[in-house]
Amino acid sequence: MKDEILEKIKSSGISGVRKVDLKKVFGKTCEGILEELKANEQIFIEKKGVAYFVWTSENYVQHVTQNDPKFKLMLNMFAGVNQSIAKVKAHADVLQEELERASRETGSKSDDFEGVFNSSLNESSTSIGWVPFDKIREKVCENQNLSKEKFYQMATNLIENHYDKYEISSGGQEGIVMRGLVHGYVRNI
Amino acid sequence: MYPYNLDFNPYPSSPTPTEKDAKILGGKRHKEAKAAILECIKELNRKVEGKTAENNDFRVITVVQDVGSGKTHLSLHVKSLKGRYNAECSYIDLSTISPKTISGLYDAILKGFDNEFFVQLREKFLNYLRENAEQGDNSAKKALDYSFVNKLTGMTIKEKTEEIIRGKQFVSLENLTAFLIHKFEYHESILIKNVISNSFDEVKNLETLIGMLSSISKLTHRFLGKVLVFEMDELDGNKDSIEFIKGVINAHLPASVLLLISTPSGYLEIQNTNPSVFDRLEKANYKIDLAGSNSKDELAEIVTEYIKHSDKDNKFGSQEQQELNEKIHVLYEEFTEFRNVRSVINILYQAMEKASQSDSKKIDESVIDEAIKQSYPGLRVRGSIMNIPISDFLAIRRNGNNSEKEIKSAVKSLTVFAQEMGSIQKLEKKNLLLDAVYQDNFGSKIGLAVIADELGIPDLEQISDMSKAAVVDKLVILTNKKIQTPYNATVVNMDKSKVVDLIYFNNKYNDKKLTEEDNERIELLAKTLSIV
Repeated sequence: MKDEILEKIKSSGISGVRKVDLKKVFGKTCEGILEELKANEQIFIEKKGVAYFVWTSENYVQHVTQNDPKFKLMLNMFAGVNQSIAKVKAHADVLQEELERASRETGSKSDDFEGVFNSSLNESSTSIGWVPFDKIREKVCENQNLSKEKFYQMATNLIENHYDKYEISSGGQEGIVMRGLVHGYVRNI
Repeated sequence: MYPYNLDFNPYPSSPTPTEKDAKILGGKRHKEAKAAILECIKELNRKVEGKTAENNDFRVITVVQDVGSGKTHLSLHVKSLKGRYNAECSYIDLSTISPKTISGLYDAILKGFDNEFFVQLREKFLNYLRENAEQGDNSAKKALDYSFVNKLTGMTIKEKTEEIIRGKQFVSLENLTAFLIHKFEYHESILIKNVISNSFDEVKNLETLIGMLSSISKLTHRFLGKVLVFEMDELDGNKDSIEFIKGVINAHLPASVLLLISTPSGYLEIQNTNPSVFDRLEKANYKIDLAGSNSKDELAEIVTEYIKHSDKDNKFGSQEQQELNEKIHVLYEEFTEFRNVRSVINILYQAMEKASQSDSKKIDESVIDEAIKQSYPGLRVRGSIMNIPISDFLAIRRNGNNSEKEIKSAVKSLTVFAQEMGSIQKLEKKNLLLDAVYQDNFGSKIGLAVIADELGIPDLEQISDMSKAAVVDKLVILTNKKIQTPYNATVVNMDKSKVVDLIYFNNKYNDKKLTEEDNERIELLAKTLSIV
């Protein structure tokens, strides 16, 4: 019976249906079902004059939108806010995507850097394994389109993070600075 | 008294090693390098044993590694072992010779030998003269200035020789020259005269220098039965040094080992300055590579070797050794300043002194902290917001991977502290997956979750459940692992320094040791973790 009552209320549209008319159709026992539907926020009951009218929640919103100018005004404002939020959210999504893409690119560039650095190191290696940084820098910067500063920044990070893989040695005209000393030579251990 | 019941500080304090310091040699790589050098000396000894040393009995060893990695120490250590391996050794620091003239180099080589070496050689030469004199060689008698009067007074040739050895009487240099001229080569004669008279002639050209070095080698082998090791430290691209080295290598000094010590920078300088010498070095009999000589395991081994050497009462057990190793490892990982032998030994020397002053039984975090403060006053823990003292840092890092429970407890304390400061308002935590729920100053409901699983692989399902179930305006995940970012959460990566800062904060918080000046730092820490 509950579904039938709800269907009847829904079909009444934005005008709603009088409670007394529902009682006529479904009998006095429908009072309890109406209270239950109201508690579940599925219907809305409002007193108009001496009669009680019943709407579904959706229909009631439309009803007051058409008949109450204050509510209409607030709803319009709310819709505007909603649109702004949606816009902000869309913008945030774009930013998030951009950020992830940039992060992926940085990650892959960093991975590429390590690979190119290692292959340059192996290619330039002398009999004792030590290679001047400037030789590697020339190759890597050309390959990765990096500035000299960026190269040394990335090389410092690479060596700092893998100190068990590389050895550096002081001297030379350029290189990474450790303990205040220019370390111009590097090799794989 | 020093830690571990030691009677003295086992670490050297000089900025560069001395012969005395170099008696102890630790570290796997350094010991392997030492074994290679000694093997070369032994092999050469076998080759020349019982015969006259020839020009092909010459070996070249190169040792190339960065400054402060223990090359000089290794060379001096080998020199200290010379007696055991039937060798004599001259250590020359080329950087101390300026200008690098031929006579300067020759003087440095002579001074590089122990005094005892020339005393032995002199005695052998004089006894050789005696033997010849006793066998009736008149020129030998004349060289010993053994006169008719000596004979009349009953003095034997042997007694006369002993008097000369003791410096009470003297040889006749004029007659000695006459004696030597028939029995020895030109440079050998000069050397013997110089050694006997204890006065060395000045050497003015490379040819003479090579001749004299060759004579020292040959006569040392003939009279003492030993091979010579010439250790040339700080070899670089200096033209005079290189010309000299080239001459020595080309001369093939008999029964000799030439040990050349350089840095990668110096070695590559030689390549650019003189490819011919570089080629000779490339063809060295032994090319000793001290790769990994500055690794953390090597440094820890070297550090413990000094204590073990002085530990007569066996107070430095395996547990003490492990504890010290852990501290060295943390110092190594966190401070680039302590990634070479020299700087670690320096800090350990200072720490030993500090420990002795404070009657500490071991090298603990606080004495290392004090030693660092004294020797490296500006040194700070990198990236630490809490300005954590090095001693606390070492203690926390030594515990290794801080457990999830410990980190969660620290985060919880931080949220409680933030509430006390009025930055957030804690709410009832209904979701078990969240570690804290609170309202920030803007009224947003924040859910905080910590993922610091020691197993290595974070539970992605757990993160997913967390984000689905979190009925909050904003979900913040604090983690020290690499995790996928859920669409509805902010992931804050906690690096090592942040975790250490958190634990340090928590320890101080629990011990009620936070001071007012900590407030600002704690707030910054909470901000970097997106808690406030």
